[in-house]
Amino acid sequence: MSSSRLVWVRTSIWIAFLVLSTAALALLPHMGYSLAFWFNLLLWIAMASGLNLMAGFTGYLPFGYVAFYGIGAYAAAISVKMLGLPIWAGLVASLLAGAALSLLFARTMVLRGIYFSIVSLALAVICRLLIANLPDSVAGGSFGIPLGISNPLGSYYLMLAVALATLLIVTWLAQSRLGLALLAIRDDPDTAEAMGVNIGRARLKAWVLSSIIASVTGAIEAWHTSIVDTETAFNLLISTKAIIYAVAGGLGTVIGPVVGVVTMLIVDDLIWQNFPILNVFLLGLVIVLLMLFLPSGIVGTLIRRKPALRRVLF
Amino acid sequence: MYTTLLIQALISGIILGALYGLIGCSLTIIYGTMRVVNFSHGEFVIGGCYAVMLFYVASGLHPLLSVPLVFVAFFVIGLALYFLLMPRLSRSDDPELASFLTFYGVSLMAGAALLYFFGADTRSLNYVFTPSVIRIAGFILPTAQLVVLGIGLLIIIALTWFLYRTIQGKALRAAIMNRDAIQIVGVNINNLSALAFGLALGLAAVTGVLLALVFPAFVPFSGLDFTLIGFVVIVLGGLGHPVGAIVGGIIFGIAEQLSIIFLPQSLSQVVGFIILVGMVALRPSGLFGKVAMR
Repeated sequence: MSSSRLVWVRTSIWIAFLVLSTAALALLPHMGYSLAFWFNLLLWIAMASGLNLMAGFTGYLPFGYVAFYGIGAYAAAISVKMLGLPIWAGLVASLLAGAALSLLFARTMVLRGIYFSIVSLALAVICRLLIANLPDSVAGGSFGIPLGISNPLGSYYLMLAVALATLLIVTWLAQSRLGLALLAIRDDPDTAEAMGVNIGRARLKAWVLSSIIASVTGAIEAWHTSIVDTETAFNLLISTKAIIYAVAGGLGTVIGPVVGVVTMLIVDDLIWQNFPILNVFLLGLVIVLLMLFLPSGIVGTLIRRKPALRRVLF
Repeated sequence: MYTTLLIQALISGIILGALYGLIGCSLTIIYGTMRVVNFSHGEFVIGGCYAVMLFYVASGLHPLLSVPLVFVAFFVIGLALYFLLMPRLSRSDDPELASFLTFYGVSLMAGAALLYFFGADTRSLNYVFTPSVIRIAGFILPTAQLVVLGIGLLIIIALTWFLYRTIQGKALRAAIMNRDAIQIVGVNINNLSALAFGLALGLAAVTGVLLALVFPAFVPFSGLDFTLIGFVVIVLGGLGHPVGAIVGGIIFGIAEQLSIIFLPQSLSQVVGFIILVGMVALRPSGLFGKVAMR
């Protein structure tokens, strides 16, 4: 099988899978299922894949990814509650806020490795503290902003759309020139530059895209729960969870983060049901074992052990 | 009145900063020798807090007598963790990322274990020095802070002596500078790394003992805060530079304490992080770092 045909086949299988799952998930509300689990699943798929866009394709791991999620939630809440705009305007505001913040933080990409990660984390903490200290009339202060509108069904469908869009973007990226350029930069920046790749621009595109996904996800979550406050919207666990889910599936693969989210949410659920007291301990143990025995994630390890699986997994 | 306040803030900033510096110092020893991001570092600091509490409750002896005991206990825990985790981790493609996540898991486990054994309530070491305050030139200083500063300085001196004057210490610094070259000259990097890991966890726990004397209370889940401070401090001081970390810690401590005077309490936490971002923008390699990390 030639390489372009291989790519065509596996992409078609994957897109068909996505379309079918989306259709099934879109029908869920009509069958009377509780949406809480599924909303959560879609939210984490969007977050983990959004993070993968940055971490998997450029090698930069933003510990402070939550900054974009939080700023999106706040942009939406402020537009809707304080400025009285409709919800779609709030979503646009969150998108713009995410893009603006990512451009503001773009300079941090001169740092590499753990340096970048720590500074990104510090920036997330700064964002949280600054918003918590804004006057109550602007951002609700430490009590947060109650939106006063809640639309579980609408936010569920929107989350479905965003999760699907994120996966399609990552799928496109994996075959595009931009994706190829990013992988080249990740593996050997000097050679990539010598071959004529504009390192700064390519990275910036991935960074802004990845940030927008997080900020829109944050806005939808705000709409879903109808309240935002700094402690939950900027909770560092959101970054770590997105990272762990993405890594569990396999950073740099398209399917990996989805597999990671589904697996880890199921494991999490099982642990909660069976060992309520030891749940955090066991979750930690699962993470340690995962990293020791499957360091490239579930999908990454499968591809490596059985290269034939490249026909369907990527 | 204002200057008194200022000077007192400066002094407590130096004391806390020295402790932050010690946390950063032990963290950078691990990161420097192994490129391992020990995300569970703060939990071991808190572990030290609980260890001294147990020691004091069980024996009734002076809490400071627990320092050697706690050091040895956590040194052994460090060795065990090293031999349990590192052989597999160091073989992964991206040890930095793999270790970060592994130790995030360890951090969850350690935090959960502390919660299980000690409960969620804040605990404190109910030990009061007599006299509880000392007056020096008109300034009222808590004895605990002075004692802790003294011991902190002793530890820093001992550590500096170890790193610069003993053969193991020199090997450790050499390993931080160039992990490959040191193996060529015949150093067993495995044993050296194990030593570094044990030393770092021992130091972290001893820092916890000192913190318990100064900080009024501790809870099982404040580990992450200390880990974060440790990372900020080492980026300030320059990655892989143990002494730089201590200077970074003191800067961070002073900034934090001064901003408590000038800014509302909730905003004062920002200052340390803003210094970090400013430092990275102006001098990405940190105060003492010679080579910019690419």
